[in-house]
Amino acid sequence: MRSSIRAITLAGVMIIAAAGAQAFDQSNYPDWSGQWKRPAGVGNQWDTSKPPRRGQQPPLTPEYQAIYEANLKDQAAGGQGTDPTYTCIPDGMPRAMNVIFPMEIIIQPNITYVMIEYLSMLRRIYTDGRNWPKDAEPSFMGYSIGKWIDEDGGGRYNVLEVETRNLKGPRAFDASGIPLHADNQTVVKERIYLDTSDPNILHDEVTTIDNALTRPWTVTKNYHRVRNPVWVEAICAEGNQHVRIGTENYMLSADGYLMPAKKDQPPPDLRYFKQTGK
Amino acid sequence: MPVRSSIGAVVLATVIVTTIAAARAHDETKYPDWSGQWLRTGGIQWDPTKPIGRGQQAPLTPEYQAIFEASLADQALGGAGNDPRYACLPVGMPRLMSVIFPMEFIFTPKTTYILFENNMPRRIYTDGRSWPNHLEPAFAGYSIGKWIDGDADGRYDMLEVETRHMKGPRTYEGSGLPLHKDNQTIVKERIYLDKTNPDILYDEITTIDHALTRPWTVTKKFRRDHNPTWIENDCSEDNHHLAIGKEHYFLSADGYLMPAKKGQPPPDLRYFNQSKK
Repeated sequence: MRSSIRAITLAGVMIIAAAGAQAFDQSNYPDWSGQWKRPAGVGNQWDTSKPPRRGQQPPLTPEYQAIYEANLKDQAAGGQGTDPTYTCIPDGMPRAMNVIFPMEIIIQPNITYVMIEYLSMLRRIYTDGRNWPKDAEPSFMGYSIGKWIDEDGGGRYNVLEVETRNLKGPRAFDASGIPLHADNQTVVKERIYLDTSDPNILHDEVTTIDNALTRPWTVTKNYHRVRNPVWVEAICAEGNQHVRIGTENYMLSADGYLMPAKKDQPPPDLRYFKQTGK
Repeated sequence: MPVRSSIGAVVLATVIVTTIAAARAHDETKYPDWSGQWLRTGGIQWDPTKPIGRGQQAPLTPEYQAIFEASLADQALGGAGNDPRYACLPVGMPRLMSVIFPMEFIFTPKTTYILFENNMPRRIYTDGRSWPNHLEPAFAGYSIGKWIDGDADGRYDMLEVETRHMKGPRTYEGSGLPLHKDNQTIVKERIYLDKTNPDILYDEITTIDHALTRPWTVTKKFRRDHNPTWIENDCSEDNHHLAIGKEHYFLSADGYLMPAKKGQPPPDLRYFNQSKK
């Protein structure tokens, strides 16, 4: 009897030692491995359940609806409107979750990383129970704190709830230029989870709280998984034919000359050049 | 009977331990602790033991030494020379490992990731795969790595990496020290912690490239910050450098195009309707 007790105790010590040495139990977390892509046929608008541009029916304040309308007019004339990303600045949050190019999610003990294959868009979602930092440098991707939830009581986390603050701008929801407020007080809340019937579909319910909106705006993004992905380096600055000089956007022609982006757009002011007459 | 009971108890316990081990697919105790933020020590030059530019004494072929000299001359006049980074193109490999801004490692069973503050992540595949036959080249290339337990203590202590399939243009550093335009570069690395100070990491980097007369090995040294702050470094934000055709210009603080070099003519405006004032 005492031998049995000693044997069990020894084995128990071994189990505990093994458990202590292996700090991160991945079996507690869902399998979000692989590559996540925007579904085929889905556009790059913010709310993919609605048509782009005005069809988005964004709940903008009158002030920001006017900004949006002016932007659409500028884009129709060849300008970029309120979409700032033509100069290759990051989409920022929440727009990054359009996942124009694929993403990968890596779950680690204290941080869940979201890596998007474009513009170095990297999110660190801190899941270590930390408080909001007092003096964090604002960023396009913001600062994200998350919490894992076992919503179905299955003994395994299945939902990641995230809040993102500390954003900088300018940012828009999508390429149509739906604007976020210039005060950059945006708060983004997300619930990320696998589809209950298809584990190769991931949902992200994204709620944006922003002073350009009359109310919180919630959309659900859906992504499809690719198990054996090919990662392609998508480099915005490579072959970018858009140029910004002051507040004007121009284009570069295929033969390397500056050209107007809009009809009758005047050339840039060349006051700082010594211009010799020909 | 006591002996059989003891044996039975140990067998049962062993089964339990094995089950737990199998459930936890990635045994982190096998890997070194490279957590935290790694910052470069020293300057931004490629070989940290030598000065930037000509001081690097890069083993370039005569053809590429001439290209380098032309780059230095252009930079002395205010141009960008060979360095494409002013237009926010990625620096690519091997220059990424100068770690101008800090980096972080993540280990997963099949891939080691290196995350940067101003570049897309490197993926170093450690699953024993072969080199792919058809691959889109990338500035960061395609990397295959192998973990080594050099001191046979049951724990990996070194990551050996080989990187191929790069695209260009790429340089080693801001002076424009060039790599060959054929982009046949191979980069080999040995990454490991200092034996006496676990907060120092080394990366011995050997570059094999047709612009060189021989393989060129440098050792980069990084120091660890265990409680980092991460800053988003976006090259394209407020970038005052501009490329139009093959010419490099500046944008003034008040938003006008300006020359980068003395006497530089303005860009050709042939595609604009220019009405007389």
